Amino acid sequence: MGDAALLNLMLWLPLVGVGLLLVARGNDLRTRWLTLGVMVAQLVLTAWLYQRFDDTAVALQFSTDAPWIPQWGVQYLVGLDGFNVLLVALTALLGPLVVLGAFRSIDRDVTLFHVMLLLLQFAMMGALLAQDLFLFYVFWEAMLIPMFLIIGIWGGSRRVYATLKFFLFTAFGSILMLAAVIYLVVSLKASGGVSSFAFTDLYQSRLPLDTQSLLLGAFALSFAIKVPMFPLHTWLPDAHVEAPTAGSVILAGVLLKMGTYGFMKLGFPLFPDAARMYTPVLMTLAVVSIVYGACLALVQDDIKKIIAYSSISHLGYVMLGLLSLELIGIQGAIIQMVSHGLVAAGLFLLVGMVYERCHTRQLDEYGGLARLIPVFSVFFMIFTLASVGLPLTSGFTGEFFALLGAFRAAWPAHVAGNSGPLVLAVVAASGVVLGALYMLRFALTFLFGPTKAPHQPLADLSGRERLVLGVLAVAVFALGLFPAGVLRKTEAAARSYQALVLTPRLPGGAP
Amino acid sequence: MPDRDTLIAMLPEHCLLAGIVVLILLEVFGVRRVWPTWIAIVVTCVASVLAFWLSSMQEVWQLFDGQLVMNAGVLQAKGAVLALAVPVLLMSKSEFSDGEFSLLLLSSLYGLSIAVSSQNFLPLFLGLELASLPVYALVLLAYRRPQSAEAAFKYLVLSGAATATMLMGVSLLYGASGSMSTGTFASAMQGGAGYAQAAAILVFVALFLKAAVVPFHAWAPDAYEGASVPVAAYMSTLMKGVVLLVAVTLVASEPVTGALADLLYVLPLVSIVWGNLAAIRQNSFRRMIAYSSIAHAGYLFYAIPGSPSARSGAVLFYVVTYAAANLLAFAVLPRHERDEKRDDLENLRGLYRRDPVAAVLIAIAMLSLAGLPPLPGFVAKFYIFRNLIAAGQTTYAVLGLLGSYLGIYFYLRVIVRMFMAEREVAANEPLWAEQRADGMSQAAGWLCLAVILVLTLVPGWFIARL
Repeated sequence: MGDAALLNLMLWLPLVGVGLLLVARGNDLRTRWLTLGVMVAQLVLTAWLYQRFDDTAVALQFSTDAPWIPQWGVQYLVGLDGFNVLLVALTALLGPLVVLGAFRSIDRDVTLFHVMLLLLQFAMMGALLAQDLFLFYVFWEAMLIPMFLIIGIWGGSRRVYATLKFFLFTAFGSILMLAAVIYLVVSLKASGGVSSFAFTDLYQSRLPLDTQSLLLGAFALSFAIKVPMFPLHTWLPDAHVEAPTAGSVILAGVLLKMGTYGFMKLGFPLFPDAARMYTPVLMTLAVVSIVYGACLALVQDDIKKIIAYSSISHLGYVMLGLLSLELIGIQGAIIQMVSHGLVAAGLFLLVGMVYERCHTRQLDEYGGLARLIPVFSVFFMIFTLASVGLPLTSGFTGEFFALLGAFRAAWPAHVAGNSGPLVLAVVAASGVVLGALYMLRFALTFLFGPTKAPHQPLADLSGRERLVLGVLAVAVFALGLFPAGVLRKTEAAARSYQALVLTPRLPGGAP
Repeated sequence: MPDRDTLIAMLPEHCLLAGIVVLILLEVFGVRRVWPTWIAIVVTCVASVLAFWLSSMQEVWQLFDGQLVMNAGVLQAKGAVLALAVPVLLMSKSEFSDGEFSLLLLSSLYGLSIAVSSQNFLPLFLGLELASLPVYALVLLAYRRPQSAEAAFKYLVLSGAATATMLMGVSLLYGASGSMSTGTFASAMQGGAGYAQAAAILVFVALFLKAAVVPFHAWAPDAYEGASVPVAAYMSTLMKGVVLLVAVTLVASEPVTGALADLLYVLPLVSIVWGNLAAIRQNSFRRMIAYSSIAHAGYLFYAIPGSPSARSGAVLFYVVTYAAANLLAFAVLPRHERDEKRDDLENLRGLYRRDPVAAVLIAIAMLSLAGLPPLPGFVAKFYIFRNLIAAGQTTYAVLGLLGSYLGIYFYLRVIVRMFMAEREVAANEPLWAEQRADGMSQAAGWLCLAVILVLTLVPGWFIARL
């Protein structure tokens, strides 16, 4: 079997899993193990493909190209490239961990829950692997429905409000993006004669600057809601707080990255001239997100909200790195995506484990957990420090490279007399300090100080929980200690992104 | 030889007619051994297969001096419409046990078949009337509550108004051109004299009335609510779809211009926005579907100003996906001995806990109606708006898409009710197994689901055949 077939198998495996679950329903434990088995199988396949992935090639690898709606030029076009390879690996890694994390906490409608997890996994993988805009849009939207049900059925007390807010916010961006997609493809056909949704064909489109700006606006709205960037972030805290742990982990771990991935793969490369024109605006919003998210995280007393707001802050760095258009910044952004996926997933899992035991999310009801549950506290400290960006952890690599890129891009402008970018970069760097402040305040109250917990005696982590967190912690350190291998995987993609965005593509220009 | 052509090309109609005669005879002689619904189902299936078979021959038959034209496209549309009538017949068992329903439905289908294939205003008019007349009776036949009579009467009066408007338009057109051929419509619309333009508008207003486009929509919620489930399902899907197919025939392959164009840009948009907004505050399932169908009439009519080459394909694709989703929802709706209760949206509260299969099927139907990927409702909407943008109407397309966003909320609310809300079970409530839709209706539901799944996975296969 060729590697392309393996890639397809990997993508469609969750759907096979759904079929298995429907056949074998009735026994909750069997359902959990089956789902876990499917997710692990997917992870193994992904690992195989990851290891076979050729770092030096720019082109799509293991790709499948089949007509889907040939009349419109829609293709079933999937494959791995430097853009998505790390995020695919992240998604595949989080899959089994999410199932394990929810092994005990979900006790209602178990089959439906696992079916939704598998459907979500399928949609996320599809959105990452799709290289055709129509296919991408279908998967992009299909992610919403399982998440909507996961939050709405197994969530907290205000779950219906939160999940409707999540859905309606995201769908609003998507509907404008849909209009932009149609317009882009129709105008490509009108100008070049090709009726195609393939990304590589769309990268050839030449549109006037004002059209580019409008279309970028529509795409950016959709992606910025997903990231989320200030001021479109208000759905995120509600969704995170009400979602069950598994929902929060997937939301923070993968779904938010879809926004930044969308900017990197579609938004900026499709409309490079508009992207360069609006870089100052977008960069300001990214920096505002960094500082604003950090400030809000500082004053929360709900432990889930702290991590939710910290996500807004951390994803601001990704945007900063992408917008710097410096190689190191772009690669930093990609690493930061993966790093945040691991760290936020770990933190949400930890918070979920505590919540399962104590049933409250109020920070001031906890204290001195280090003495009560030491193993938990060690893991908590690891992920806190990774979130802060301590060297040797993945958080450091990502944030440092992204900031480095921003400074490198800002310096020539500063020399030329425009200090705006430099000021932004300095403010963004202050976010690191704020990040340390809120995370350490959190850890300080949570782990140290007078011992109190709403529910004593408190059991320390079980073997299953240690396994889940251990895997994540190993990944966090691996990414922090040996970033070179990961950097190599993404270098070609980062260069092609840089070239795509830097090359002017207005109509009438040189081809 | 024209007679032989008439015999062959109208085979689906002949088949329906034979079924009608048999059903009448059975009624007259009081034969109770054969179940009339089965006869109707077999007849409809055979007629549908015949229509597809004829369309595969790729021939064009001109019947009655070109008043009826059967080409591959027409026959295909006819086959699809007839096939969609099968779930309606299947789900009729719970409401109608006698032969009247099947008899009237077959008559109505005969009218629809004639209307779809007409190239002349006389058979067109005849077909549309023949399609509507049995439905007045059908609405009343389900006399389950006092509102049924009111609903039937309202529908009768407003359809009468539509008929009158259409006749007025047709006579003006005849005055302008001296011909009853539908070909005169396009030229009148494009650059005719003032009264020819007025005629075009009058004809379309009649179609707007029949398809329930705002501001000609007020009858639909009352009529659907008063009618029984299968009748409401029939009216909201097949009747509406055929009106749109007729509209496509009228404008032929001409771009829409003149005064009619303005109407065709604005009214569908108003319909989308108003239908979606008004649906939010409904507590009755059928009223909600009625408003949703008003919005869908808006999307459907946006196919007309779209680029001419893909008009009929877009309409047929939309009609099939929309009808499949709508019929699916109606087919698996839980039963209740009181019609008002069955219709109440509260009846769906916590449905997933009691009947997970029905809840999942209704959810799929709602998501497809909302036009969310990966369900085929999305591809259908994409088709319509793609054509609209290709025709240069980007602003209206964006506004229409924004209008469709408004609709997501009330579809989601049905899902919220079914999956996310608990419900107290009253002591005297019948068991859930008794409230589940009967086997025939479930079969109808699975049939629709099969259509939806096929269109989800391989939409290109269907689009290639349009």
